[in-house]
Parts: sequence; structure tokens; C-alpha cells
Amino acid sequence: MAQETTTIRATFPSLEWFQALKDIVNGQEAYRRIGTCDTTMGIKIPDLQKYYVVTFEAFEVADVREATEDEVEDCDFWLEAPYARWKEMLQNIRANGKADLHHTLNTLDLEDPEGFARSHDGLRRDAFYRFNQSLQFFFDASAAIDTVFVQ
Amino acid sequence: MSQQTTEVPEELARLAQERDFPLDLVRRALALGFSPGAVRAQLLRGISPQEAEEFLAQQERLRAGEEVEVPEEITQMARKRRWPAGLVQRALTAGFRLSEVRAMLEAGLRFDQAERLVIIRERSQERQREGGEGRQRRTELPWMNVRTEWGVRVRPGKKGLTLGSLNVGTYGDVPDYWPYQTEMPRGAYHNPGAPPMGYTIYEKAELWADNAADLYEEAIQRQWKPATAIPWDDIAALPEVQERALAQLCTYLCQNALVCSDVIGRWLKEMSYGYHEVKVYMATAGFDYARHFDVFRKRAYLNGIGMGRQSPGYYLRVIKDARRWTEASTLLFIFNSSYVLHLCQVGYYTAASEGDALIFRLAMQDLARQTAYGVKHLQYFLMRKPENREEVHTCLQRAESLFAYEDDKDPTLQEALIVLLGGGLTEEELKRGWALLNYFRRRWLRDYLRRLEAAGLPERRDRLFPYLRQWAPAPAAAR
Repeated sequence: MAQETTTIRATFPSLEWFQALKDIVNGQEAYRRIGTCDTTMGIKIPDLQKYYVVTFEAFEVADVREATEDEVEDCDFWLEAPYARWKEMLQNIRANGKADLHHTLNTLDLEDPEGFARSHDGLRRDAFYRFNQSLQFFFDASAAIDTVFVQ
Repeated sequence: MSQQTTEVPEELARLAQERDFPLDLVRRALALGFSPGAVRAQLLRGISPQEAEEFLAQQERLRAGEEVEVPEEITQMARKRRWPAGLVQRALTAGFRLSEVRAMLEAGLRFDQAERLVIIRERSQERQREGGEGRQRRTELPWMNVRTEWGVRVRPGKKGLTLGSLNVGTYGDVPDYWPYQTEMPRGAYHNPGAPPMGYTIYEKAELWADNAADLYEEAIQRQWKPATAIPWDDIAALPEVQERALAQLCTYLCQNALVCSDVIGRWLKEMSYGYHEVKVYMATAGFDYARHFDVFRKRAYLNGIGMGRQSPGYYLRVIKDARRWTEASTLLFIFNSSYVLHLCQVGYYTAASEGDALIFRLAMQDLARQTAYGVKHLQYFLMRKPENREEVHTCLQRAESLFAYEDDKDPTLQEALIVLLGGGLTEEELKRGWALLNYFRRRWLRDYLRRLEAAGLPERRDRLFPYLRQWAPAPAAAR
């Protein structure tokens, strides 16, 4: 995926960072071409107690918002990892223009015995696989953000 | 037809006289095409001459091509309710009085609901206007006079005009039992001369899943093409041992996909036409399996290895031999898809190139969609047929036991996976491969049982076939 020139600077994790990502993705025709994606994805960074919900709807990222832990666990699935792991993934994306094979969502999930993608529901968790291509595109698009890390 | 020449039937004239209703207004109504019955109904309802005058004058202006003046208040209300411009005029043209249009707006009718009422009124007006010539034409063309629901309009949403969005009005009524043995699509008018086609599934509980229409859309929206979607030129050969192991995995996946495609083909023709959402979704699932066969075959050939050894396929035969669709679906989309998904996870985890990773990622995308149907159908089935719960356990027991037999007797695939995961044939590599295989199998069993739990079968965890328990999470009682 060809990334746009960096024009945005935002701090991770923050609502502004996810909002910037949403805007970048929604502006890319390549994201629409993957096909419809309908799911709610939670973001959980337990050691910072930071939680976000991202809503994917049809051909766009419909919403991003800060949330409570309960709201995140009510999503179809949530991505959970310590802050250092998130930072490593995003730095890798920034350095390569997209995640290399060791830092894709799938790899991070397969390497974690509990899974990077988690859910209380076996059916809803499968949205992680069903829409994986779109979800990876979403995070890969962060290569266009000049991310400032809080730690 | 002019007002002067319009004859008022004697009975209607007598009624107007009794009600002290001007005969001239009756004549004007008939001249506009309203039937004597409709005029009679208005007289019996007690319409006042003033109301009638207002309505007839409005209709005469409209028929003359003029527009009726709509009070600003009504225009504002329509705008607030997001009715399209022109719908109020159209309602008035169709014969609604202003007071009726106001009542629709005050009741909060959406534009599509209001439009349906307008369409019904327009059709009724058309019928009234048609004289003997029209009736003659409809006698000659009986297909124009079938009693299906006409006038239904659907509009594209964010995802375009989807299959599920067509389920409005009577078309959204999916019956528990489909009474027709022919190939009549749901919503069409039955042709009594059509011969039965030999379908065997006429009961909704036997095949339905609430997500079928959405999954169909998802499948066609997210389809991919193995020939061009995969960067074949960039997939470098792995060391020979690993390339051979990957070719063996691909051979298994090809065989599995062909069997699954056969199973769908065998059942598709059994499903009656009342449940087209499931039928069309199954058509996409069959296509998914064709694509998997195609992509894994290509991968096996890509770097000069080709196909490996055939799998005995014992447990796949259980799926082929299923005598009930729910049984076939549960084995195919929950048991088998969970297993194949875990094989694809191994493929993804060991991928050395983006091309290989993409193949497995896209295959997982399709397989997860299939589990979504399998889980939702089993859920629907168990809710409506709780007495068949044990039957589901029996079929799972058969598949699990034959899987165990095959896994134990034919180590071909297992060995290939160990080599892939370990990265070679040295003792150290094989040890590592064995440990990782067990890790992936624990994930497989965890996900398989979670899917069954989501379908409403949580007790399967405690009833798993003994061989599989070595990878399963602890039974609920022991946790």
C-alpha cells in the first residue's frame, strides 16, 4: 500500500491519533476496494489504562472514540497488548511503510497465547479474521502519521 | 369524458338526493374517473358538499396539469421529515386530501412509508380510470394482474442496494415452512401448472441463519482473485525441505476444499426457493472453496515441487455422508472450518514472504465468514429444535473420532506441519516444530469450542472426543 506523505503529527495513544488515522483511511480509495467491513474493534492498553473503540461501517471508518474498559469488552473483539508492544508495532509500520511480517495483526495474535484479538464471544471474535485485510490497512495507514509516543 | 355527458346511476342519484348532496358534484366525481362505488362510499361516510368541492376542484386542477398550492406549514413539515420534494404534490395527485397528508406527517411516517401509501392509491386510481379497454387488456395479459405486492421501492444505503434491503413489506416475510415444491422465487405468484422440483428442505429451522444475506454481500464485496491478487513473482522458494512441507500442506488444503465444494453442491439443490438468502450465500461459499483449491494448487506448483500425498480423508467422508443439512453445515462450517483455519494460521505464521502471508490471510477471511454462517445456523436450529441437541453431539462425536483416527494413523500432514513450524529436519528443529504444533492445536481447540459455545452448545467442551482433549482447555468443572 502506498502511503501518503506525512502531514500529521499526533500522540499515541490519544483520540486525536485515532481520529487522524480514521481521516487518512477514509480518504483512500484502496481501502474501499477491499470491500465492506462492518465491525466494532476495541483497543486496550492495560498498563496505561487507555481504551478506544473504532467502528467500521460499510466502506469507511465510521467512528473512533475514547471508551471505558467495559465498552471495549463489549465490542466484537478488542486488541490488547502492553504499551511497549503497541509502540513496537507502530514504529515498525512507520519505518517500513506498513507492518513487516513480524508485526502484522495476525502475527501478533498468533504469538500471544491469549491472542492479541480477544472477545467474550467465539462468533464475534471471528470478525478479526473476516475483516483482517481492512484492519491491517487501518493500522498500516499510521505510517503517514508522525507519531509521538507518550513514553 | 365530460361532466355534461356523465350519467349518474339511478341508485347513486337517489342516495345523493336523500343526503341532500348536489348531483353536480357526483357527476364531477364520476367524470374524474372515480367509480360509482367509491362515490357511494364517500356519501355514506357523510362527506360534506364543501369538502367534496374542495377535493374535486383540487383533482380537476391536477388533471389539467396545474399544481395544487401546498400550505407552507405542510411544506415545512415534509422537509423536516425528509420527504423528497414533490411527494406531497404526488400524494395530492393520487387523491389524498391535504388533511390526510398532514395526518401522515404528524404521525411521523418516513418518506418510504408514505410513498408506499401513495403508490397504492395511484394504482387504485389507475384501476378506477381503466374502462372496458383496460379490463380487456388485463384479461389478455394475466401476468399483469397477479396478486403480488407491487409498488415496493427500495433505496441504496451505505453499502449500495443490498440483498437484505429488499426484504421489505411482504417480501421480508420469510415463512417457517415454504409450501411450494417448485422453483418459484419468494414473493412471486404461484403458477399452478409448474411441476415439483424435488427439493427436500422446506423448513426454515433446517437451514436459516439471520446473517445469510449480509454474509452473501460480504462475500461478493470482499472476493479476491488468486491469479492477480497474490504477488506470485515475489514468493521466493523456501529451502527444499520446507518447500516440500508447504506443498504437502497445500495438497491437503486442495483436497479439503474440493470435498467442501462437493458437499455444498450436493445440498444446494435440496434447498427450496423460499430461503434464497441461504442459497445465494452457499453459492458464494462454493466459490470460496473453488478459489482455495485454485490458490493452494498454484502455491504448491510455484517453486517446482507440485502436489504431495493424498490424505485418507476419513473424517471428510462423515461430512459427505451427512443426511441432514444442519449436520453437514455444523461439520463443514464449524468443525472443518475451525480446523482448516488453524492450518492457515500455521501457514501464515511460517510464511517467509508477503505473498505467502497474503494467501493464508485471505483464505482465513473466507473461512471465518463460513464459520459465521455455521454458528448462526446452528444457533437458530437449536433454538427451534432443542429436541435435536443430542443428534448434533452425535454427528460431532463421529467427526471428532474419525479425525482422531486419521490423525493417529496417517501422520503425513502432521509431519509436514512439524517441519514447517520447526524450520527443518534436525532434531532440534523437529522438537521445536512439535512444540509449536501443539501450541497451534491448543488454539484450534479453544476456538472450535468457543464457536460451539456461541452457537449454544457450551457443553461440548466436556464431551469432546478423548483424543482431542490433549489440546483442549480444561473442562468447565475443573477450571
